[in-house]
Amino acid sequence: MSEAARFAIVTTIVVGAATVLGSIIPTLMEGRAVVRAFDNMARQPSVADRIRGLLFVVMAILESGAIYVLLICLILLFANPFREMLGL
Amino acid sequence: MSIDGLFPHPVLYIHGIPINDTVLQALLIVVVLGAFAIVTSRRYRAWGPRPWQLAVEYLVETIENLIRDTAGRPLPELVPFLTTMILFIGVSNILGIFPLLQAPTRDLNTTMALSVVALGSWIYFGVRANGLGGYLHTFIEPVFLMMPLNVLGYFSRLLSMTLRLFGNIVAAETIGAVLFALVPVLGPLPLTLLGLITSVLQALVFTMLTFVFIVDAMGQEEELADGTARSAP
Repeated sequence: MSEAARFAIVTTIVVGAATVLGSIIPTLMEGRAVVRAFDNMARQPSVADRIRGLLFVVMAILESGAIYVLLICLILLFANPFREMLGL
Repeated sequence: MSIDGLFPHPVLYIHGIPINDTVLQALLIVVVLGAFAIVTSRRYRAWGPRPWQLAVEYLVETIENLIRDTAGRPLPELVPFLTTMILFIGVSNILGIFPLLQAPTRDLNTTMALSVVALGSWIYFGVRANGLGGYLHTFIEPVFLMMPLNVLGYFSRLLSMTLRLFGNIVAAETIGAVLFALVPVLGPLPLTLLGLITSVLQALVFTMLTFVFIVDAMGQEEELADGTARSAP
């Protein structure tokens, strides 16, 4: 198998695996945060507005874990530093 | 399929220094927002306000309420800084909607510059509230050995804020570009709408993080039983 083919296959497999893991885990954690927030919003409706405001901020911060994985995958696909090293 | 249009590229050279298009777009936002602010403050009417004046007042009041609810006390010195930050980042994130413009925050330099401004604001408000010695004392706070960890914490906050904003905006624009290549005109529409929501949300998140770390650097004021307040970082 040629260098270029092997490079492409390994890159594709790694990016696929990273995307799968990097999208499942943050989503699960965000779901846990949302469930806990909703339970407490129902328990104390008077502070429901404050909880809702903080919930959005916290979910965006949790989302950033997935964004880091996405950034690395984009770098691997489109701006791969090893590409010109291999002469592709 | 080439997505080279996404990356910032130089459009003009001043004395051999390349000026990227993101610099021009950010300058455009600064000029437009600044002109809007100047015109609004000139035509301020206390009685019989116009609708856009009410809209601006609503935004400022929202920021003030957010500050008071999160910090427990109103901090009027933070309101202009945070309002400017959320307006600039919010407008620059959704600038891709306009025909020939793109979000300047898709450039890592822009987001890093914003994070450095936030870092400067933490140091500034911390020193202003506690004095230089008091602020440096917070680095040694729990134990003296925590000093490198505290300093490292500042840099990790800087890096995470930069990459979070950069990643969200680049992801939104990449999705738009890929869908545009698949379905020519209407393809990007649904995910662009989602991208608008996350763009404004990321502006809010950036501002909230800056604000929370400013309050953290300023220290909490505690009300003692006799009504006097003392500052406890």
